[in-house]
Amino acid sequence: MKQTTIRRLISLGMLCALMVLFSCTSRYYLNADNLLEIVRDASVAGIIGVGVTYVILTSGIDLSTGSCMALVGMTMANIYRYTLLPIWMMLLIGMLVGLAAGLFNGLVVAKLHLPEFIATLATMGIFRALTYAIAIRDAGGIITSQAMTYSSFVKWGGAVGRIHYVSIAFVVIVILGQIVLKKTRFGTNLYAVGANRKAAELSGINIARTRIMAYMTVGLCAAVGAIFTTARLQSTTALLGNGFEFDPIAAAVVGGVSLSGGYGDVVGTFIGALFMSALDNGVLKLQMNTAYQYVIKGVIIILVVMFDAWYNAWMEKLAQERGRKEAVKA
Amino acid sequence: MKKINASGFGKPIILVVFMLVLTILRPSSFLTVGNLSNVLWSISVYGIMVCGTIFVFLIGGIDLSIGSLCGLCAVTIVKIIRYFEYSNTGVLVGILAALSVGILAGMVHGVIITKFRVPAFLITFATQIIFLGLSMILTNNKILSCLQPELFTAIGMKKIFSFPIPIYIMLLIALTSWFILRKTVLGRYVYAVGGNAYASRLSGISDTKITVLAYVFSGFTTALGGIVLASMTQQCMATTGSGYETEVITAAVIGGVSLLGGEGTVSGALFGAILIGLLNNGLNLLSVPSTEHGLVKGIVIIIAVGFDALQHQEKFRSWLNQFKMKRAREAA
Repeated sequence: MKQTTIRRLISLGMLCALMVLFSCTSRYYLNADNLLEIVRDASVAGIIGVGVTYVILTSGIDLSTGSCMALVGMTMANIYRYTLLPIWMMLLIGMLVGLAAGLFNGLVVAKLHLPEFIATLATMGIFRALTYAIAIRDAGGIITSQAMTYSSFVKWGGAVGRIHYVSIAFVVIVILGQIVLKKTRFGTNLYAVGANRKAAELSGINIARTRIMAYMTVGLCAAVGAIFTTARLQSTTALLGNGFEFDPIAAAVVGGVSLSGGYGDVVGTFIGALFMSALDNGVLKLQMNTAYQYVIKGVIIILVVMFDAWYNAWMEKLAQERGRKEAVKA
Repeated sequence: MKKINASGFGKPIILVVFMLVLTILRPSSFLTVGNLSNVLWSISVYGIMVCGTIFVFLIGGIDLSIGSLCGLCAVTIVKIIRYFEYSNTGVLVGILAALSVGILAGMVHGVIITKFRVPAFLITFATQIIFLGLSMILTNNKILSCLQPELFTAIGMKKIFSFPIPIYIMLLIALTSWFILRKTVLGRYVYAVGGNAYASRLSGISDTKITVLAYVFSGFTTALGGIVLASMTQQCMATTGSGYETEVITAAVIGGVSLLGGEGTVSGALFGAILIGLLNNGLNLLSVPSTEHGLVKGIVIIIAVGFDALQHQEKFRSWLNQFKMKRAREAA
């Protein structure tokens, strides 16, 4: 228990070190507005990251989140354009579409027993194609973006005071996600399924249901992410979330969630998402050629990951030595 | 042994069924030597790359950087040929340089991953960004064309017995990695490390060495893929090859390679690459709009892989039944 607390403090320390580094390189980095901006930019990847954490804990992966966002966004655009439904109904239907997409992923993975990677890669194509199929077209049949400027919708992309709604949603979802993970049977089952599937099956856990529920969580999170993204852009396109699928996964993995399953938690993903966002923001503020920004970003990720691994190995060694000393004493 | 036979059986059936459907739908254009050679030609870059990256998948790793590494190698060879003013020496130096870049990148991956015990996903995710940045620096964000000399364009375009050279390169690389995996001790070690790294370490296999070798071979084939790609398109830019990592991983996983390691064959991975090529070709021949390709591809992948996965499912069930029976017997 104490070990995990120290680990958490270390990753927070690395986040702080990164921010100190960047506040030395740019005088526009360390101020309240920019810090709030970092949280806002981390939010969508982080919200989806909460769901992705659940799936990775079951030793799965979800590559369809970007396409799922586009499908939800386009569904809402259709409702916005062609119906008179109130905004809350539109948001609700968007979330239901996300849940349905997650259910489909879960069924393919858990009932057809496809490898998660390939199944969600396939559904990534399927959701994107469905988005194109229902995309808003102009009179000439060309796919266009749909503006969504109704004020009670657009306000979700804004801020209350200086804090953005999406940041509030991010924090709330992380807290909820952590409580569900640590305090409910579903959360415990997620760990069990990821750590040892056969043992979990033999101890009576319904594996298929747990995995399907994990994928439905991702779908719901992707829908929430899509709602905040479209509200902020005040429009949606068929390309929404294109190439976005690796960001939540990277946030989770940087936050210490093990890709082989059974290890990690939502708060880790929270820190991971903040870390990636702080890095992006800081590198951007170096005001360099994009090419050099890419190189610097990559090098920093490698250094941090190497430090993390080195620290882990060191702690393990210390623990072993302590154990040996105690054994000698006894 | 039985499982290898069973999973080797389903894949040809899927291919034959798929080709039959296309032959019936487009009798005049699909089943011609020209078209089939085009299909193979279009997948040859993926095919070359997947034959090397399968080593990485087999030891339980992953390499997300192959797309941008392929681009970086393409940029390297084109830059060098232009530097040597389109001479044949330039081509030879360029090929050597590109291959060294690939091998060096693989070595860096392998050493970082084994020495620091870090997740391969993150390291290769980071190097993907770095390689893209390096390509952008080298090309200065411009498209570099390279239409000469003939020695360079021949690699990607020249035909021998009505099949372009990349197909032969792909077959050669496939045979090489099949030979290494099936007929040498090294290949057995690769499967052993992927199946259980700890157990193989205890039985005296240096999993560090095997891991580094796997990444080096993957880097080598990726560089080869980059050279072929540059020669095929006779130009390169920073984003050349971007997105190839998903195509290659898809091909491998469709072909039954487990991303958790220890399971998969070269023939399976090639089957995956060919299925993707046929899918793209078929969708174009049937003039399906490109916005709907994802839908059809996704459904075909789910059916094809689901068909394959069913066998595993039954196996799992029978295993569970045996376990239950054993427990019942013990209780009685």
